[in-house]
Amino acid sequence: MSSQASARSDTLTARQSLIRHVDNLFFRKLAQALAFAGFWLAGVIVVVALAWIVGYVVINGFRVVNWEFLTTRPAGGVSGEGGMSTTIVTTLYLVVLTIAIATPLGVGAAVYLVEYAGEAQAASKLVAFLVKVARTGVEILAGVPSIIFGLFGFALFVSALKLKFSLLSAGLSGACLILPVIVRTAEEALLAVPRAYREGSLALGATKWQTITQVVLPAALPGIVTGIVLSVGRIVAETAIFWVTLGGSYRLPTSLLSSGRTMALHVYSLASETRAFDKAMGTAAILIVIIVLLNLVINYTLRTLSARAMGRM
Amino acid sequence: MKNQVKSANGRPIFVSVVAILTACCALGIGFWLIVRSMAGTAGGDVSAPLGRMSPFAVVVAALLVAGIGLVVAWGMWRLKNWARTALILILGGTLMAFLIGIVFQVAARVFAGEHVVAIGETMAILGQALVRVVTVCAVPVGIIYGLIHYGWHFEESVGQRKLLDRMMRYLLLSAALSSIVIVFLIIVFTMTEAWKSIKVVGADTMLFGTVWRPGSIIGNDTAQLGMLPMVVGSILSTAGAVILGVPLSIGTAVLLAEIAPPTVRQIVRPAIELLAGIPSVIYGLFGMVVIAPIIQKAWPQIPYNTGYGLLNASIILAVMIIPTVTNIAEDAIRAVPRLYKEGSLALGATHFQTIVQVILPSARSGLIAAIILGIGRALGETMAVIMVIGNSIAFPAPLLEDKLWTIVLSTARTLTGNIAVEIAYAEGVHRSALFFTGVLLFGMIFITNSVARYMMKEREAK
Repeated sequence: MSSQASARSDTLTARQSLIRHVDNLFFRKLAQALAFAGFWLAGVIVVVALAWIVGYVVINGFRVVNWEFLTTRPAGGVSGEGGMSTTIVTTLYLVVLTIAIATPLGVGAAVYLVEYAGEAQAASKLVAFLVKVARTGVEILAGVPSIIFGLFGFALFVSALKLKFSLLSAGLSGACLILPVIVRTAEEALLAVPRAYREGSLALGATKWQTITQVVLPAALPGIVTGIVLSVGRIVAETAIFWVTLGGSYRLPTSLLSSGRTMALHVYSLASETRAFDKAMGTAAILIVIIVLLNLVINYTLRTLSARAMGRM
Repeated sequence: MKNQVKSANGRPIFVSVVAILTACCALGIGFWLIVRSMAGTAGGDVSAPLGRMSPFAVVVAALLVAGIGLVVAWGMWRLKNWARTALILILGGTLMAFLIGIVFQVAARVFAGEHVVAIGETMAILGQALVRVVTVCAVPVGIIYGLIHYGWHFEESVGQRKLLDRMMRYLLLSAALSSIVIVFLIIVFTMTEAWKSIKVVGADTMLFGTVWRPGSIIGNDTAQLGMLPMVVGSILSTAGAVILGVPLSIGTAVLLAEIAPPTVRQIVRPAIELLAGIPSVIYGLFGMVVIAPIIQKAWPQIPYNTGYGLLNASIILAVMIIPTVTNIAEDAIRAVPRLYKEGSLALGATHFQTIVQVILPSARSGLIAAIILGIGRALGETMAVIMVIGNSIAFPAPLLEDKLWTIVLSTARTLTGNIAVEIAYAEGVHRSALFFTGVLLFGMIFITNSVARYMMKEREAK
């Protein structure tokens, strides 16, 4: 006890003496200037790295992008010839499928957690436990690395349910990935709807379900849409899951049970199997354009949302 | 209840028509089946599947069909509003399936070829598809529109409304539980798949074995599935990413939260968020095309320096964790109460002294959480790392024996990469061992994320 106290006073005095030594205004200002220069340097390095990567890929990529590149299919094999049309279409299919699976589940879960959980928890201990478990589930799921979703999809959908490498197995696995994103954003959007809306609707005699579908959900819609756009970005950017559940066929999927290749997978296949780096750059450039557009949409909706929230206050 | 339904609904002509039609159809099909079975026995027509059944079975089937049809018709008459919902859903679903089919067909004709389809031809294909869609969809869409438009005929009764309310409550609860069900399924499936290798090879042998040579498994020769090289590869590449990325991230976070003018923040913050959304394969591609040649040219005299390896992977991973760490760290710094800063400045400390001695210490738990989340992201990253790390199954070792630092130029393989590279063709114990790799990875990430979550909670509790 006493040794601890003395150690503490030692460090204190050491610190105080240090402060006394640098207690010179000139040195303090010099230190500040140097340190701030360091912080600015860090910021500049980060921004330059971003600009370098995006700029390099976009500038080099758009050299090969033309109408033919966009509308013909990859030649397959190790030649790396051909365009990227089928990968665009496959990505589109997969995005629609994944969103269609994950949105009802995710929004439903968010509605329960926000609208029902409070009173239900008070009413029954079992439900209180279930709600706690459900929240933990969302948190855990949000932290699972994508390759684990891939393994899971491979074990359950591809092998056990015998869906093979297909759009359907990829869509189901991808839905697991974006479920927490949708739940969280929808939850936030629902929480932002003023209580008065619900109270007004309930006071008019509407049931809880009517209140939710006709008052709360429409008010929360922009926030929910933001979550969906965010998940579209995740699906477009995701590779590892689809590498082990979608297969990698360069042909166009003819049904939900056929294999395919998304744009991100195409970049990977070209770069690692064919060394056709120019075509990979072209595909990557298109991907970046799509991601930038999605980001703009999100920024726009968020800004209108916050503007609306300000107006309401 | 019966009275309520009647008084609430009046006399909706729509449903009566549909109900009567359904009943007629059911009766007609039943009658047709009976006739058909008689003709079958009389004519000895065995080509049709019905011809092979005994007349008795067919009559029972016909009665069943007619009965079910009548029950459906009666139910529609009785519970008009739900019949309407069901009709809308069934019609809508069928139309969706049809439309998806059309989209698949059009896409297959326009985009699946090796040659460019001319604009005119594309237009023709689209036009045909449009005509088909319009002709097929006109009637069902009309019905759906009518049902929705005249919806006020079908107001549900109070009892029904309450039933719906209660049903939705449980349906939504099950949706809320879907996440935990998925987590449970993930654990169950990876564990059961991994169980075989644990039984045959043993968890300790896999954890601490230093040789990974799955192709050489013969019978029970089990010493070849050691994962230690991958564990070391994962840890080294992640450590490199943290060393390179975290100082930059924290520096940028301090800059954005404390030093830079708002305009800079308004430009830089969205840019960093954009960095987070860019597909990982693009970083991998950049690593292959740009960074690998740079590394190779930097140390040309070192043998086996291909440019692919731990250093390249660490650089790419550092770029990938910068957005995560920067955003969370900036939020943590902003969450420090203004009073702390003002008090420190009022005591005569410079802005820099305030940052180092007041702001950063009070944001500590948030900063640590940010770093740990970054570590989780780096450990879990797969494709970008595969593209730049070289994927050799050997232990990472210095390329020059007398210079330890050359280990950063050594090729390696991560746990994630091990799964992604081999899962497609692995079988038997090998496949099971890959699932064990997944279990290992899941455990590592679960621990790091739990620590991060605990830190965040602690911060909020303050």
